[in-house]
Amino acid sequence: MTAITLDGLTKSYDATDMDDIPDNEIVAVEDVDLEIEDGEFLVFVGPSGCGKSTTLRCIAGLEDATGGEIRFGETVVNDLRPRDRDVAMVFQNYALYPHMTVRKNISFGLRLSSTLTTPEIDSRVTDVAEMMGIEDLLSKTPDELSGGQQQRVALGRSIVREPGIFLMDEPLSNLDAKLRAEMRTEIQELQNDLDVTTVYVTHDQTEAMAMGDRIAVLNDGLLQQVAPPEEIYRSPANEFVAGFIGSPSINFFDVSVDGQTLTDPSGFSYELEDHSVEDDTARLGIRPEDLTIEEGGDDMTVTVVEKMGNENFIYGTVGDTEVVARTEVTVRPEPGQRVGISFAESAMYLFESETGAAIKTKTDEIEPQAAQF
Amino acid sequence: MHEKLEKEALWQFGGYGFLVAVTMVMMFPIYWVVVASTLPQSAIFAGGAGELPRLIPGSNFLANAEALAARPEVDFYRSMLNSLVIAVVYTGLALLFCSMGGFALAKYDFKYKRTLFMGILGTLLLPTNLLVIPLFLLVSNMGLSNSYWAVILPWAAYPLGIFFMKQAMQSIPDSLLEAARMDGASEFQLYYRVVLPSMKSSLAALAVILFLFQWNLFLWPLVVLREGKYTIPVAISKIMSNDMIAYDQLMVASAMAIVPMFVVFILLQRHFVNGILGGAVKE
Repeated sequence: MTAITLDGLTKSYDATDMDDIPDNEIVAVEDVDLEIEDGEFLVFVGPSGCGKSTTLRCIAGLEDATGGEIRFGETVVNDLRPRDRDVAMVFQNYALYPHMTVRKNISFGLRLSSTLTTPEIDSRVTDVAEMMGIEDLLSKTPDELSGGQQQRVALGRSIVREPGIFLMDEPLSNLDAKLRAEMRTEIQELQNDLDVTTVYVTHDQTEAMAMGDRIAVLNDGLLQQVAPPEEIYRSPANEFVAGFIGSPSINFFDVSVDGQTLTDPSGFSYELEDHSVEDDTARLGIRPEDLTIEEGGDDMTVTVVEKMGNENFIYGTVGDTEVVARTEVTVRPEPGQRVGISFAESAMYLFESETGAAIKTKTDEIEPQAAQF
Repeated sequence: MHEKLEKEALWQFGGYGFLVAVTMVMMFPIYWVVVASTLPQSAIFAGGAGELPRLIPGSNFLANAEALAARPEVDFYRSMLNSLVIAVVYTGLALLFCSMGGFALAKYDFKYKRTLFMGILGTLLLPTNLLVIPLFLLVSNMGLSNSYWAVILPWAAYPLGIFFMKQAMQSIPDSLLEAARMDGASEFQLYYRVVLPSMKSSLAALAVILFLFQWNLFLWPLVVLREGKYTIPVAISKIMSNDMIAYDQLMVASAMAIVPMFVVFILLQRHFVNGILGGAVKE
């Protein structure tokens, strides 16, 4: 068990051979400062190319950091080889050795780098196989296994060595939706049981929200925000985080500010009561579930109604802005219909137009009843 | 619908028929060599010009083989042994070098990698004839002339083999190597315990290619080996070196020279097809 510290971690690639790249280098990760506590489950999330995998690979030792320091506990590990860092990694494509049986796959690391005797290794492998529910598969080769079974073997391979840190690089993205949800809980239970510091990379914000003790949102190699899931959702540091987290995505309106009045180019306007904005313009954000659709109003033209069974997604346009609302199943306007929209000031987000930094985030309280079991 | 199926079946029949015909044309000389090896010299040319040669095997095989064995300047069975030892050791050594070279070129980044690779491929353009004199000087300076090593070493890092292994190894996902590194494997363990075992098909295919290459090598062994160390192709050439060519002996020697190649191919055939097609389709 190990705490991880990233101190100004930077990774750039030489791009002298490529045209149109300023400074002849591509910066994948820029000056990331982050402390990951012992036993914590931290999720890196962001769009593709945001640097999340690169950061993970730097922690693993598969990539050399070009700047900054990586510490495990008090030890600087920048110059240690992966094998000397006491970390285990689960890869997106599982990376099982195709010519080895499941038993050999799991025991490979132990046979190479531990001083255990063969019977000790065998008993460790059997224990792990039982824990992962794959004891029947030990004599099979990876090509005889389903995706979910391969995933379990890959997890088994990483836990058998009892490493100080688990690294997982999109381990669920090759599974179908149902299995993914199953494995998601399984990985969480496993992490709870073993209490090993875990760094998990995903592009799927649902996965991040569901699994992480804390979430680190990355974009363009820059760390945007690190916070627990609920805080990321309710108090995003900037427009990017607000837009990336949440499904369907948050609605944004470009508004001009005149005193307490916010006006959208289409004429839709909102009166602020408890807050004020200093700039002339701002970006207004409102989550789909905080939007109320009102029959008989004249703010939005409905384009599509998606009936999900337990809720409806109502898509429409306010002027040129696409808007989506998440409503009760009883709200079912017809496509083409004009409807009104309304929302509470406490549920509204405001961001600076220029920098995207948050001016105001959700201030509505979670009702005590709703917060209890 | 019915008509369409019939048409398809007809095409298929025609296609297979064509392939069978081509195969027969290709195999005919080999068949004739085998038949001729069982005939006395007189019967081989019995038909005369413009007629088909005799295609039914006779019973003279053992007599021909004995006559061949009785020629000390050819020393056929000794040559067979020489060839076998050389080809087997060569194949093993070349597999090692080609796979290591291919692995480095496929999976590591280093300065001038591309230039080096082009250089290796470039050596394919040099004909053996051009290399004979410098190679001979090199080998005799090393004190290796008239030894097995003289034939084994010069092509031990076979450029085509390096190229072949590089292409095959590019299909190994990087994450597999990274997983092994995380598991604590050194770079050599990576090569030996992860890469080689997952390249069995390609290695088998390359083994066939290397074995055949060495088995058929003629000019270089002729230059560097002396009597007693001759390989099969050189020994066969010696059968013809007298005033009279003993075609019966020539045919028996040729027929026997085919056997090891045949055995190697049959043994590795399944892998050979897999290896050659490997990476052609994304799985």
